[in-house]
Formats: sequence, structure tokens, C-alpha cells
Amino acid sequence: MHQLQPNPSTSSGQAPSTSPEQAEAQASAATAKRGRAIVLTSGKGGVGKTTTAANLGTALARRGASVVLIDADVGLRNLDIVLGLESRVQHHLLDVLEERASIDDALVADKHSEKLFLLAAAQSREKDEVETAKMQALVSRLCERFDYVLIDSPAGIELGFKNAVAGADEAIVICTPEVAAVRDVDRVVGLLGNRFKPQLIINRLRPHLVRRGKMLSVDDVNGILRLPLLGVIADEPEIIVTTNRGEPLALQTHTATGAAYHAIAARVAGEDVPAPMPAAAKPSFAERLSAFFGGKRR
Amino acid sequence: MSARRIVITSGKGGVGKTTTTANLGATLAKQGKRVILIDADIGLRNLDLVLGLEKRIVFDLVEVAEGRCQLRQALIKDKRFDSLAILPAAQTREKDAISPSQFASIVELAAETADYVLIDSPAGIETGFRNAVAGANEAIVVTTPEVSAIRDADRVIGKISAAGKPIRLIVNRLRPEMVRSGDMLSVEDVCDVLSVELLGIIPDDEEIIDTTNRGEPVVLGDGNRLGVIYQKIARRLEGELVPFTTFDNQSLLGRLMGALKTG
Repeated sequence: MHQLQPNPSTSSGQAPSTSPEQAEAQASAATAKRGRAIVLTSGKGGVGKTTTAANLGTALARRGASVVLIDADVGLRNLDIVLGLESRVQHHLLDVLEERASIDDALVADKHSEKLFLLAAAQSREKDEVETAKMQALVSRLCERFDYVLIDSPAGIELGFKNAVAGADEAIVICTPEVAAVRDVDRVVGLLGNRFKPQLIINRLRPHLVRRGKMLSVDDVNGILRLPLLGVIADEPEIIVTTNRGEPLALQTHTATGAAYHAIAARVAGEDVPAPMPAAAKPSFAERLSAFFGGKRR
Repeated sequence: MSARRIVITSGKGGVGKTTTTANLGATLAKQGKRVILIDADIGLRNLDLVLGLEKRIVFDLVEVAEGRCQLRQALIKDKRFDSLAILPAAQTREKDAISPSQFASIVELAAETADYVLIDSPAGIETGFRNAVAGANEAIVVTTPEVSAIRDADRVIGKISAAGKPIRLIVNRLRPEMVRSGDMLSVEDVCDVLSVELLGIIPDDEEIIDTTNRGEPVVLGDGNRLGVIYQKIARRLEGELVPFTTFDNQSLLGRLMGALKTG
């Protein structure tokens, strides 16, 4: 496979030609700001791309940035569910790409964060119906209006992944501390090459398993991947609950995981804060009890 | 007699397709069946890792399809069971390096010398998924009790049943304590939405993470409860009526908390 290239139109800062009034709006906006297009990807599925997109988007919006989340998983969309917006989706990505709806018609305003918007994927279409060039042009146009364009990539390295990457100029890769996930991320980083400046989020770490030597540590994972680390998120049952409920955990800044997403957002924004790490979790009550009674674990 | 050809798929990634394929394969082999596992995730193969066979790969699926080697040369015999073998995916190729009809004929060939051919599908519904389904005449859909996984499973079930292939369901990573507290969908909830035959319920077990990293299917460990659960799944596949395990035994902490609440 050829090495993927970052979006040429956003990299050069040149806007594609559009209607006169849009061009006018662009001319004023283009000088004022140029958003960053970041793809979230992983190779392996189920490591938390969509959850991370929803939480990072929420945290960036809370910082006052304008953010649009694009669900690039045509046919298997889920970002709308994680944000609790599934019943508000009227138009989707392919409607915009095929000019049946304007960007403004298709953007769904988030319920919780004022400056956050979703562009949903089509559910009953296929990934090969997306034209790469049109996707790039769309991301460029969104970059003129928003500070951040976060693209939630599908799993795998097929066409859906390539289209998700095509519009981006940076990448965040998500990895869980598992051998299979590390192998897949390593492959994706190879496919991305150096130009997307991939940064790493390690997701679903269980500190008590790392302590017992039953899970790869942060150093194990990044000893292999050697990427700039944005942060580490612990595996918390709360994530499942908030995801099912459609309320990203980043809304709860008082929780450890919510705060971790805000620290990651600050780092993405260029602030010099330390990468969040889960507390070296204290032994649980049950663990202490069983240690006391002779170390039997199960 | 030709083997049963079963694709293991899900739509959503990370729900446990590969782990299920490895463990079900090992369980069937342990029961004396001849089993061939095919990794259809070209470019992102992992089944070899889960079985600890990654260092033994010489040829792969795409090389068989291209006629550069025989199927039997590419099959890797498992370390533990003589009757279990895997056909690894190519790691540096793309999913479209092989066509659905090529894939189907490799599965057909494998089926001549086995009782079961299990095909580990990639995530998604693109070319890799279509290849994996093309070779099968039955499907096992794996899902977790999460809204997004169920939505994806529903979409995949629609696609497979349109092809007229029977589908059974495995609900993976159930956390009974979360179901009890109302924080997770129950198996009944999942089955209501998907309405396909239930083949098995597998609880979330931390040991899976470790055994998968070590390349030892969890069912081979002594005394792990998942071994019993996979045996039941294998028996149900054989057509036996086996009651489902219930998970109402609470943890120590759960019982303590329950006692505090009621007391």
C-alpha cells in the first residue's frame, strides 16, 4: 500500500472553490482561523476510538474551542449513540458529500456542549460510496469554520480507514495494553508514515492487572510503539454506563477519567501539562481481604 | 463428509471474535474434532498471536490463493492439539488481494479434511467481511451487551440473513453485577433486539486478557470457568440441548454490600 498523504488542501491552507457567498465567508474566515483536522484511528476495533472522539470533543469544546466530530464509519455508525444524539440526526455525511444537504443542515448540535457539533455517518450505505477527494474538500471547508475537526475512523485498514485519514493532517492513535492491539497500531503507524505526527492514547489500562504482571504496562506498550504520549485512560465501568446513556464522561470533570480527558485536551491544544496517568490504583477491598486470608485470588 | 463452515463475525471490532474463534476451536479439538481456523483479517492478523503460533508462520492465506503454495503447506498445526490447525492471514497485503470466490474455494478445500472450519472475520462490513462470509454456510455473531455493539450486530445479521445463512449469537463480556445494578443490558435485552438463536453467554473475565497476551487459549487453563462455558457452546453447536449457565453468584464485596443494604 502507498503511504498515505495528509490532506493537501488543508495543509496548503487553500480553500476549494464553492458558491460566491460561501467563498466570501471563507475569505474572511480563512484569514481569521485555520482549524486542525485530526483523525482518531487504531487498526483494531473496540479499543475506544469512538468513545475517545466523543470525550476529547467534549473536553475541547469545554475549553471554548469550536469542534466538529465526523463519524467516518459509514454503515456502522455509533458516534451519535455515544453522544446521545441518535434521534436528532437528519442528514449524514454522504448527504453532504453528494450535495443533497448543506453542511449546516447536516450538523447536529450537541446537547451538552455549546460549541460541539456532529456530522453523522450514513447507516444504510457502504464505505466505498465515499469519494476520497470530496471527503478531503469537506474537511477543508470544516477547518475554516471550526477550531478542531475530529474524524472518528472505522476499525481496520480498508477503504473506510483510508477515507477517514485522507482529510486529516494529524493523527491520534488509540491502543489498549494488549499484544494484538499493539501489533495493529504499529501497523497503522507504519501506514500513516511520519507526516501525520501520530500521538498515542493508551486506553483501558487496569492498574491492578499491571501490578500483578497480568497486563502490559504503559512502558511495555510505548517501548514498542515509541510515540509521543498524550495520556493514559483507565478501564472504568463508568465508561460503559456513560456510553450507553449517551453522556460522555468528560462532562463529569470531578471524576478521575473525566479529568484525564480534559488533561489530554489541554495537551492537544498545546498546553504543557503532564500526560494523565491512572492512579497506581490501591488494592481493592476484596484484594486486601484475600491477601490477608492467604493470597487466594479467586 | 465435508466440514461445517462457520464464520465468526460482529460488525463492531474488539468484541472478541478472535478470542472466541481460538477458544471454540481449541474446545472442539479437545473433544476430538478436526478443526481448521482461518484468519480472514488480511493486514491486521491476530489469531496467530492468540494461539501463540506467530513464530511458526511460513506461508499465508494470500499465498495459497495465488497458488504459490499448497493449502497443507500453509496450515500451522497447533502446539497442543494435533487435530487443530490455523491458516494465517497475510500481514503486509490488503483485503482485496483475494476475491470472495478464491476465499470460498480455499474454505471448500479446507473443509475436505476437517470437521469444522471456523473463519475469523475482520471488523466492519467491507471487503474482508464479505470474503469471510462468502466461504461460510453458517454464522456465529459475537456481540457485547453495549448499545453500539448491538446496533452493529443487527446490521451484520441483516446482511448475513439476506444471504440465507443460519445465524447463532454469542453474548460476550457480560458483567452480571452491572446487569444487576441496571448499568448493563441483560442477555434478554440483547436477544429481544436481535432475535436470533442464542448459542452462548460468556462473562467478562480478566484472565482472558492475560491468556490472550500469552498465546494460551483460556479454555486450556485448569479450573477456569470459561472452559466449561465453551464446552457447552461446543455441545450446542453439535445440536445438543444444554441449559445456560446463570451468573447469580455474587462477589464477596457484592454480598457484603447486599447484606448492608437489606440489613
